[in-house]
Amino acid sequence: MKRVLLRILGPGPLGPVLALVFLIFLPLAIGESWVSLIVEMMALAIFATSLNILIGYGGMVSFGHAAYYGIGAYTYALLLTKAGAPFLLAMAAAPVLSALGALIIGWFCVRLSHIYFSMLTLAFGQIVFAVTLQWYGFTRGDNGITEIAVPLLLQSTLRFYYFALVLTAVCLWGMKRIVDSPFGKTLQALRDNPLRTEFMGINVRLYSLAAFVIAGAFAGIGGALFAAFNHNVFPTFMHWGKSTEALVVTLLGGMFHFLGPAVGSILLIFLDKIVTSYLRYWSFVLGILLALMVLFFRGGFAGYVMGRLNAFGAKREGSQ
Amino acid sequence: MDFSALFMQFLSGLSQGMLMVIIASGLSLVFGTMNILNFAHGSFYMLGAYACFAVVTLLPQVTGNFWIGLLVGPLAVAGIGGLIERNVLRRVYSRHLLDQLLLTYAFILIFDDVVKMIWGIDFQSIRMPAVLSGKLDILGRSLPHYDLFLILMGPLILAGLYFLLQKTRIGRVMRATASDAEMMLALGGNVRVLFNRVFMLGVWLGGMGGALISPQAAISPGMAVSIIVESFIVVVIGGLGSFWGTLLGAFIFGQFNAFGILFLPRMAIIFPFVLMALVLIIRPWGLLGRPESS
Amino acid sequence: MILRVEGLSKSFGGLMAVHDVSFSIQQGERCAIIGPNGAGKSTLFNLLTGHLRPDAGRVYFQQAEITGLAPHRICRKRISRSFQRVNIFPMLSVFENIQVALLAMQRKSRMIFAAARKMARQETEMILQDIGLAGQEEVISGTLSHGDQKRLELGIALAANPILLLLDEPTQGMSPDESATAMALIDRIARERGITLLFIEHDIETVFALAEVIRVLHLGVLIAEGKPEEIRANDEVQRIYLGERK
Repeated sequence: MKRVLLRILGPGPLGPVLALVFLIFLPLAIGESWVSLIVEMMALAIFATSLNILIGYGGMVSFGHAAYYGIGAYTYALLLTKAGAPFLLAMAAAPVLSALGALIIGWFCVRLSHIYFSMLTLAFGQIVFAVTLQWYGFTRGDNGITEIAVPLLLQSTLRFYYFALVLTAVCLWGMKRIVDSPFGKTLQALRDNPLRTEFMGINVRLYSLAAFVIAGAFAGIGGALFAAFNHNVFPTFMHWGKSTEALVVTLLGGMFHFLGPAVGSILLIFLDKIVTSYLRYWSFVLGILLALMVLFFRGGFAGYVMGRLNAFGAKREGSQ
Repeated sequence: MDFSALFMQFLSGLSQGMLMVIIASGLSLVFGTMNILNFAHGSFYMLGAYACFAVVTLLPQVTGNFWIGLLVGPLAVAGIGGLIERNVLRRVYSRHLLDQLLLTYAFILIFDDVVKMIWGIDFQSIRMPAVLSGKLDILGRSLPHYDLFLILMGPLILAGLYFLLQKTRIGRVMRATASDAEMMLALGGNVRVLFNRVFMLGVWLGGMGGALISPQAAISPGMAVSIIVESFIVVVIGGLGSFWGTLLGAFIFGQFNAFGILFLPRMAIIFPFVLMALVLIIRPWGLLGRPESS
Repeated sequence: MILRVEGLSKSFGGLMAVHDVSFSIQQGERCAIIGPNGAGKSTLFNLLTGHLRPDAGRVYFQQAEITGLAPHRICRKRISRSFQRVNIFPMLSVFENIQVALLAMQRKSRMIFAAARKMARQETEMILQDIGLAGQEEVISGTLSHGDQKRLELGIALAANPILLLLDEPTQGMSPDESATAMALIDRIARERGITLLFIEHDIETVFALAEVIRVLHLGVLIAEGKPEEIRANDEVQRIYLGERK
């Protein structure tokens, strides 16, 4: 049994393909509210995985990543409601504008490192939030943009689910390709040892900025997807609370595995739904869970599972 | 806009600034000595307010119950801080910044609900202590006595802190550890105990800030989240770990808020972040910080 | 003449770390730079590799001036360097450490959609063979022993296909046996690839086995240069080291 699991969860497409097949047939077995929940998980998974490109693969701890998620969401919302743009155009424009935002903000941020980098990303994130909040004429401020209709084709929960599934699969596949590419390897080298990487002839700032922009673009897709799902967008989409949500999810699932954030997204939303139907104090539970993870399960859920399986694999190899 | 109105804004900004000095000093002190950025500092601020509130509600008939609350509340919160440092925080000292931030963020979540469990989600309030509930006439306008009290408390507590750091033995040890913790360890300094005491002091400062604001502000769980980012702004502007930097940063922050609200109310909430961003871009170690500290 | 250094000087604050140092190195030479702690050896290296800008003086590589060029430009000229403190990529695997350096050399680092897995495999394997780490491709480099990490360090430096290789204390932290093995390895690789070697060593005995020319630095000044026997017989050098060993 464990050997099969090892095969599935190890490198290679078997695991993701199986997961995809599972997700294709899943709606047949569960109720509509659960299907909705999975769509929410998917939007968060895209967002959190994009953040992990920065944190896990790039070693850049951004506290303002929600800005790009929010820009994506608002781009979609505004194009649809104010410009009457077609749905697909609005969705496609979201990552473009997020990437642009990330380019401008990132240009300043990548000059700094460590805590100063984190603080500046926080500052910019809050600026984006505050501007969205205050620019009532354009964004309707606190009220947000509500009742955004999706095209007739996607109005059933099931149809939207499959749309979201395709989009998420494509995004995750895209990010995986990037992370496994020479660029991705160089980014990881940069994370481990910026000085040495520079001495290999790499323009460290340029690569950091590129990662920042790529992460921002995918965050924008996550935001647009959620906006479409939610039919409403609010300034809180850009608040550092949302950024922290992605961080928490990445830690929960495991920041050293590509699908860690996705796993964490599933866990968080699932637990949230379960716990809040019994307890009022979800923050408390989450806080304890988070503390335990940081202290004892640093690799997150994925790290723990892979660790056990690899230990098993090594034991078997040793005994043969 | 006449002079008296401007002066009143200045004083209002000053009172806000001096309160921030107390709170932000706690954050800066802990970072400067222990290299820990305590994300949960805002929660201790909130707990200070609630602790003071608890004392006042437990002793409703006692005169001066606010003052007892002011004395006891922050001390109790500092005790909690000490326990957390010893049993939990200590484990992540050698770890990456991200771990420290996530762990302290966990405490934000925990305390947020603990406070709701005990006191519910409604706003609480304390009545202004009688001796400070009057107003002072300045230039034809009135300034609440309490604002004046805050303007005085900031420098007073800061002076106490200065005295501690510069003139006492433990202060010297703290400063030495701030510049070279490894050396202190090698010299046989009991760094563990020191770290615990420093953390407690930092928490006390945060809690004191909360207790001090409790008669003026609504006491609610949301206090923690709003103050922590403001504290970050202050210490970044002034310089992480810099004593005088915190004073300067808090002063600037208070004035920016006061005049921002006056002249450009819609943009007022953006200003502090813009200032923070500008400082980080132009001079990341803050106005009075040192470049090596990172 | 592959490297020429003229009047190189660098000071920090009031401290003169390197003072008016001049020498030249021939192609294929094995040159060791020795000297007690604080002699300025690492500073000299940093000046050569672009990590520091000299206050005065010039550096010529293959007749072209390289004074003050940025590190990544100097790397492109095929001057490679290893570092005193192990400077690998600890979270990457052994294979990836070498591969990422090779890809940078081949200017392929910016490729975003290619799968890195299949790229530069042969060249990576060759280097791993050379440094004796073949068979450990998948091991996460941070978990390697110190000696193996040093080998990997060398491998990364080799990936740049250097003409001139600067090694900063390559046997630091090694036992005498390990040092001997490491130096033999470096010797063989340098011979096979025709690399000119310039290395800093603190321990003289290690140096005598390998170096053809030895240059002695003391308090930032080049006080002696010559063949190993000449240096051994040099009174001033003896005094410096004997004085140190007190």
